[in-house]
Amino acid sequence: MPYNELRDNTSASMIDINYQSPQYKDSYSRINAIVIEGEQEAHDNYISLIDLLPDRSGDLLKLAKMEEKHKKGFTACGNNLKVTPDMDFARAFFQELHQNFQNALKEGKLVTCLLIQSLIIECFAIAAYNIYIPVADPFARKITENVVKDEYLHLNFGEVWLKENFTTCRAELEEANRQNLPLVWQMLNAVTDDAKVLGMEKEDLVADFMTQYSESLANIGFSPREIIKMAATGIA
Amino acid sequence: MFGLIGHLTSLTHAREVARELGYEEYAEQDLDFWCVAPPQIVEDISVKSITGQTIVGKYVESGFLPEMLLTKKFKAATRKILNAMAHAQKHGISITALGGFSSIIFENFNLIEMRQVRNIQLEIERFTTGNTHTAYIICRQLEEAAKKYGIELCQATVAICGATGDIGSAVCRWLHARTPVQDMILVARNQERLQALRDSLGRGRIMTIEEALPQSDIVVWVASMAKGMEIAPEMLKQPCVLIDGGYPKNLENIIQVPDVHVINGGMVEHALDIDWKIMKWVNRCAPSRQLFACFAESMLLEFEGWHTNFSWGRNQITIEKMEQIGAVSVKHGFRPLVS
Repeated sequence: MPYNELRDNTSASMIDINYQSPQYKDSYSRINAIVIEGEQEAHDNYISLIDLLPDRSGDLLKLAKMEEKHKKGFTACGNNLKVTPDMDFARAFFQELHQNFQNALKEGKLVTCLLIQSLIIECFAIAAYNIYIPVADPFARKITENVVKDEYLHLNFGEVWLKENFTTCRAELEEANRQNLPLVWQMLNAVTDDAKVLGMEKEDLVADFMTQYSESLANIGFSPREIIKMAATGIA
Repeated sequence: MFGLIGHLTSLTHAREVARELGYEEYAEQDLDFWCVAPPQIVEDISVKSITGQTIVGKYVESGFLPEMLLTKKFKAATRKILNAMAHAQKHGISITALGGFSSIIFENFNLIEMRQVRNIQLEIERFTTGNTHTAYIICRQLEEAAKKYGIELCQATVAICGATGDIGSAVCRWLHARTPVQDMILVARNQERLQALRDSLGRGRIMTIEEALPQSDIVVWVASMAKGMEIAPEMLKQPCVLIDGGYPKNLENIIQVPDVHVINGGMVEHALDIDWKIMKWVNRCAPSRQLFACFAESMLLEFEGWHTNFSWGRNQITIEKMEQIGAVSVKHGFRPLVS
């Protein structure tokens, strides 16, 4: 196959999108709601984590405030396109992950809470925002570009703590991964069609999530062999 | 630290290797999974030069498979390469070779325009295609094989298939300037580029592969095909030397005609053992001293402290650069494989 003749087939971001079409707005009402709800959950989760990590309350408050700011930014993105976010859909979307976080919180399982919020949700957000930026409307693009920079800091917060405590939290991380990672694939499946309307392919989202999540696991201290097993959990 | 970005030759091969390594999660998966799988550093390597110097490096498995090109999953293919490069850079690797299809994908899909990989801006000077060393080694293999099999270069016709590619055009320039080769046949798909190459060399006959094979004493195959080299053995002259620079190298098993000698093109042999498993996985039959010349190029750049994209772009390989990398190749104990 002559590849040099296929050069023009790859440009991912050159899709012509009508941001005002009813179909786009309909899908946007769900995706935008997920993002707003995700930022709200993140805010609440960081506030909740103060109970389990009182000596880091300053950092956690700061992270929570950033998430609140993100929520406002994404709310503005919806307003800009005159779209009403479907918050019921979004709450149902996060329900299981939300419940798992709440259960872990009640049981004082800090490591599980950090895996859900600082790794899974942050990696999910980073992957989604990075894929969204090239296909976003100009208003949302600017906001999302700033948000994604913050999310790397949030991811780093969890990574650093888990790395420092790696020997004692390894087993709980593996268990929490087993319980929660399959939910990510389900969540992605639930929004595949809407994401596509917005110009985001599921394959790209999965690939970026796996790459980011694997990197985080490596930063925490897992070996390549362990990462391969963990990051592929429940994907089939 | 040097790096090697590599990939396996097919989905079947990938599954076998995954199983062999105990990655059952990967062994059961289909092509779609390989499209989303993240890059992995699968081996830490140390290499000793015959000068006594030792360097260390890492092998990055990109997860790319040639089927991604055959099934037109171009976005996945490009993502694999960019992610592997970002992975190498994040791990602080100073100079990384883009092995197999990695450099072809980078070049043909114009990935230089997509250097922002999430929060990483790729620093191109950290990467080399390894093509200068590969071209040099193929030329040396040609010269040595001709001697070994009694072919006089001054009376020989050499066909270069894939002549307009980065490696192919370098081989043509070397043969023209540094060898007494009597006749060169230039084979490639793009007629415009072929004509331009012929004009720049001032020699060479342009023809199809079917026309070229029956009259060639030596055939150099450096065309990029996702299935490796495809040649009908009955068309070949006897005796004839075939230098298979494709990937995967599949000719040796296919062509078993007396007096047709197949050379694994672009392969080098190191004077000392390298303690690694990866060459066994990516090329199966190669023992611990044999490796791709493009991989060896990143090692040479590390040995010499030349942390720069020594081979880059298309058709930029000069004879001087081939001689420069060739000299350090010899210095550190690599030699062209002529088995």
